Amino acid sequence: MTMKQDNNGKKSKWLCSKCGGDLEEGPVKVEYLEGNFEVELLECPVCKNVLITEELAAGQMLEVEKSLEDK
Amino acid sequence: MDLDKLLAVQEQCINDNPPACNTECPIHVDVKGFIGEIRKENFEEAYRILKKRIPFINVIGLVCDHPCETLCVTNTFGNAISIHELEKAVVIYGGRAKIKTLPMPKVDKKIAVIGGGISGITCAYDLNQKGYNVCIYEKENRIGGSLLKMPGQILNPKLIQEETIKLEEQGIEIKVNCEITPEKLKGIALEYDAVFIGSGEWTEKLDVNEVTLQTEIEKVFAARRIVSGRKSVIQSVSTGRCAAVSIDRFVYNKSLTALREKEGTYKSILQVDITHDKISPRIEPENGTFTKEEAINEALRCVQCECHKCVKACVHLQKEKLDPKAYIRTINQNERIILGDHYANKTINSCTECGLCGAVCPESINMADIIKETRKSMVSRNKMPISAHDFALKDMEFTNSKYFELIKHQPGKNNSKYVFYPGCQLSASYSEQVIKTYNYLMEKLDGGVGLYLGCCGAPANWAGRQEQFNSSIEKFQLNLEMLGNPVVITACSTCFSNFKENTKNIEIKSLWEIYDEKGLPGDAKLGNGKILAVHDACTTRNESGIHESIRNIAKSLNYKIEEPQFTKENTKCCGYGGLVYFTNKEFSKEVTEDRIKDSENDFLAYCAMCRDLFALRGKRTYHILDLIYGNGEDEILDMKVPTLSDRRANRFNLKKELLKNLWGEKMDIKDEYEYIKIVIEDEIRAKMEDELILEGDIKRVIGYAEKTNNSFYNPETGHILAGRRFVNITFWVEYQKVNDTFKIINAYSHRMQVTGV
Repeated sequence: MTMKQDNNGKKSKWLCSKCGGDLEEGPVKVEYLEGNFEVELLECPVCKNVLITEELAAGQMLEVEKSLEDK
Repeated sequence: MDLDKLLAVQEQCINDNPPACNTECPIHVDVKGFIGEIRKENFEEAYRILKKRIPFINVIGLVCDHPCETLCVTNTFGNAISIHELEKAVVIYGGRAKIKTLPMPKVDKKIAVIGGGISGITCAYDLNQKGYNVCIYEKENRIGGSLLKMPGQILNPKLIQEETIKLEEQGIEIKVNCEITPEKLKGIALEYDAVFIGSGEWTEKLDVNEVTLQTEIEKVFAARRIVSGRKSVIQSVSTGRCAAVSIDRFVYNKSLTALREKEGTYKSILQVDITHDKISPRIEPENGTFTKEEAINEALRCVQCECHKCVKACVHLQKEKLDPKAYIRTINQNERIILGDHYANKTINSCTECGLCGAVCPESINMADIIKETRKSMVSRNKMPISAHDFALKDMEFTNSKYFELIKHQPGKNNSKYVFYPGCQLSASYSEQVIKTYNYLMEKLDGGVGLYLGCCGAPANWAGRQEQFNSSIEKFQLNLEMLGNPVVITACSTCFSNFKENTKNIEIKSLWEIYDEKGLPGDAKLGNGKILAVHDACTTRNESGIHESIRNIAKSLNYKIEEPQFTKENTKCCGYGGLVYFTNKEFSKEVTEDRIKDSENDFLAYCAMCRDLFALRGKRTYHILDLIYGNGEDEILDMKVPTLSDRRANRFNLKKELLKNLWGEKMDIKDEYEYIKIVIEDEIRAKMEDELILEGDIKRVIGYAEKTNNSFYNPETGHILAGRRFVNITFWVEYQKVNDTFKIINAYSHRMQVTGV
């Protein structure tokens, strides 16, 4: 699984609305059909809300979804 | 899926059958193939093709009496492709082609050929190629028979000499000045394993079998010419070849008669339609024989016969580069894969199931039936990609829920002789006209006209969800029973065909037939004599009654009708069929464009989705209700098309309005967060439409984010980004709060689910 959110090492422009804190990259479990993966995603370390960017959703994530659907 | 059934269908395809030029040739030269090579300017390859079937091609190629030209499909007014002139050109320009021959192992059997005419030397040549020891007995001082009598300008005797030398070099013994009489035949027969009498002047009458050429003397075979007296160069070649096959089988004790149906001339079953091809006149060689250029141009006139009516008519088959045979092979592979990728899923989900291929096929091979079965099989094996039809199935669920479903007797009545079923898409696109139509029906028909709002189950049927489709049909039947089994009047062609094919003991009638029979509303305005190209709906391609009604309605309103090339039972799909609009949007657009180019005139459609898809691609299209309930002027054409969100809202509002105005009932259903005010610019709206994101989804994301504060915030722009999962999709919305409204900046979705941090 090569799915990864490309943040270019830059600090995310998004803050957590709940606690106002910065987001950090961390390992997140994702699942589709029978596929389980662990990917590095942006999340609020305090509130645990995970952010998925459009770039990821419409790019690599969509590709993986399609290929799992065709398995 | 019944694999055997599919395979059987594949065998019915006639496309692989040879065309008439091949079957009319007694030795089945691949005429299409060699002409195909000339078209590519490859004379040497053309020569190799000719040489495969024609013995001593440098001679026969010049004098063949070419029966192939007679039944060439281009043969109108003597315009047939000059196959023979092309054959000559190949001998001249391709004769130097290098041809690899593998020496055959010698067979310890001796064959005598009596008479060195065309059939004799063909028989000798063929048997020699198979390794036999062959001896030709010729009573004259050289072999060649009737070839020797041809005028020098047609056939230079030197060429016959060259071929004779070649035969000897190949090991054929030639005994000239050696006459074999019937008396001597006995001795020859004892000496050889088999004998072929090719001589045209055999005095003894022999009883020759028509198929095998065997005579009453078991090991003696003889040319038919003795019996029939026919004179044809290529027929003589065929006779010699036939004798060689028989002798080879005879020597090895094999059946002389098995599998010989396609030897010699037979009728081609390939069907080629060239009514839409333009055939230019024959090119005549300026100096007796073709120059290379003349030959190439003549070869380019060849239509390269194939049936492929289905492929020529269907943009899906063209795009996938598949004909039914190849398609079925692909499906079989896709069905059998256990591990690994199902590469054909997208292909299978890109067929509109419109049935045009079956309508134009001489064998009625209908890919729509096969695709339908395949999709069902994919669903049953849990191999159907969920995302393919998810939106449409959820839409069907919505339509058959309290938001739209309505089943009522006519206001003030307790029974229904009829029930009007406008369908989900007409109700979404033409809700105003649905109300007018219902009022019209109540006015024109006696015995009570009930109303039934719902979805016929088309999405489930197209998606291969058999169980879901069956249960929706069952529910429909039960509801009709409650209404007293009235006659169902459908406006939508898809509802019409789904109900007609899947319900029992229910009479289904098309609304358009009612208009035609009962007369149009009194206030219908006449048109201005404009010509409209009728686009028939593919789901009712075989319903000639509906086709007629539509034309009658338009004509009675003073419109003229144009029938496009693909019309009525041969109509094309608009791009919505088979749910292709959802599964392969890009391709759906191509299907729509393909149909649009069939006429310059404005379209007249009678299916709401056909009308909407054409209008979306900028084609001026009238729905038949635009004619009936328009103002009679050109501006009746409103090119607006509701979005997917509008469609749901329109259905909901239609039910609400009908309930209130006709039955005096108030409908009080509220959606979660429906009070939220959103502003969406056109660009984002189009993106949402493409990605199947509804306004309702967006409102629910925002409502939840605003309530829980589970979102992200960008201090630079002031935008908020929030995501929320509904059933199997997570929707994300980036928005900006402006006073009490929310401006939508972006929206996207994914199916993968975050399960843990």
